[in-house]
Amino acid sequence: MKNPVLRATMGGLALFSLAACLGLALLIFLGRVSDATYKKAFLAASVLWFVFSILRGRRAQSPAAAERQPMP
Amino acid sequence: MPAGWTRLTAAMDKLYEFDREAVTPDKLQSGGKFAGLFAGEHVAATEFVIGAFFVLHGVGARDLLWGLLLGNLLAVLSWTFLCAPIAVRTRLTLYWYLRKIAGPGVTFIYNIANAFLYCILAGAMISVSATAIGLLFGIPVPELGAVLPSSAGWVLISIVLGAAFTTMAILGFEKLSRFAEVASPWIFVVFVAGALAALPRLGVRPDFGNFWEVATTKIWNGIAVAGQEKFGFWHVLSFAWFCNLAMHVGLSDMAIFRYAKKWTYGLYTAFGMYPGHMLAWVASGIMVAAIGREMHPGLMAFEAVGVAGVAGVLLAGWTTANPTLYRAGLALQTITPGWPRWKITLAAGTATTILACFPVFFLKLLDYVAIYGLVLMPIGAIVVAEHWVFPRLKIEQYQAEKRGWAFNWAALAVWLGTLAVAFVLPVHLYFRWLPGWFIALTAYTGLMAARRTK
Repeated sequence: MKNPVLRATMGGLALFSLAACLGLALLIFLGRVSDATYKKAFLAASVLWFVFSILRGRRAQSPAAAERQPMP
Repeated sequence: MPAGWTRLTAAMDKLYEFDREAVTPDKLQSGGKFAGLFAGEHVAATEFVIGAFFVLHGVGARDLLWGLLLGNLLAVLSWTFLCAPIAVRTRLTLYWYLRKIAGPGVTFIYNIANAFLYCILAGAMISVSATAIGLLFGIPVPELGAVLPSSAGWVLISIVLGAAFTTMAILGFEKLSRFAEVASPWIFVVFVAGALAALPRLGVRPDFGNFWEVATTKIWNGIAVAGQEKFGFWHVLSFAWFCNLAMHVGLSDMAIFRYAKKWTYGLYTAFGMYPGHMLAWVASGIMVAAIGREMHPGLMAFEAVGVAGVAGVLLAGWTTANPTLYRAGLALQTITPGWPRWKITLAAGTATTILACFPVFFLKLLDYVAIYGLVLMPIGAIVVAEHWVFPRLKIEQYQAEKRGWAFNWAALAVWLGTLAVAFVLPVHLYFRWLPGWFIALTAYTGLMAARRTK
């Protein structure tokens, strides 16, 4: 995505989705939502994270990042 | 050098030609870039298994926390004081620096050993993903201690997943790498959310008031499950330290740190180690306790996060197996000059898929990680001796390069000799690498000093 405003919006929405995943886990820990609701909502927030992150696109990879090796 | 070797090393050099030259100052990266780079690391499928195994091995809660805190600190310091300084001074990858020190023959053997180890690691990743898919089809996970495939269903899932991962690695390694970057933060969230969601099932109250009591009695209660060795503080500390041994003490991460402005950038590895090798391991420990201490990453994640958890385990395995297959293929390409990229990835993928059918590699992952580091560690000691010790003792550096040796026999003998000694040392597997490192350093220095005397 080249438009910086759209890119920032998508980035913000992606982060919000990720925060929602964590927030939902907190809600189930506190006993505020049912297990089924938590799992469904977590799945939905996860899908949104991937959608917004992919739409946002990525910055060019740094040469050091290209050297990352698989690790246990 | 014999003609065969010349051809082989020429083919090998061609593959790594792009990073033959030292990194120039204009290509150096800022500290922030390194922090970001490491923050995305160390959240792999293996994290689901390692943290869970600490619970199964009966690690106590206090031992776990102190062991992880200090072990990860030692790992960060190893990157900072061993790997980064050499990388910053030479600005070379380990491949090219080792070639100067040990000759192309030893570098070739190192590459092949690395490829073989990568294949086993990728096989373990496929097995972890197989537990997630197996859950959907009701295929049981092999029992702890299993070596051979336990059912036709397990073999079938491993083959299907291995074939899928290999095909995708062939068709679009680059695109998958980009996808892995997107998946990485989410996988980390799956760990944290999964642990949080599992806590009420273990009896932790919403005010967190009884967390420590639950942690010490129901999670890390100090009791190993049947058939598993009891682990304590030193096992955890040592494991956290050597988990990425090949990268820090083994100097493989010179490839990354050659872009660092300062050697102190090694400290940025803490951004990866503490979230990945501490928080994620603690989280997977909580998740395994919540399912009754069964080594089943798919079930752990499903119970804690639902279908998204199953996807998390699958993605964690896939996104880590992908670069592992690529790297294995790259290393193996040196022995198959002329083979196209797809063919060698297919060969590596086939070998990996066969290995994935054997659950031993995932069920003995902790031991495998120890062996992985141990096998490559002597090379790091040899490089440290050549880089730091030789100038002080006035031993000539880089003799293999200057004299055109295909093999620096002293380096090869020290590598193999250290492994032989390490494997018979009468201490636990986890504690063998450290004396082994000193043995390699001393023996290599001694052999090269003796050669100078002659």
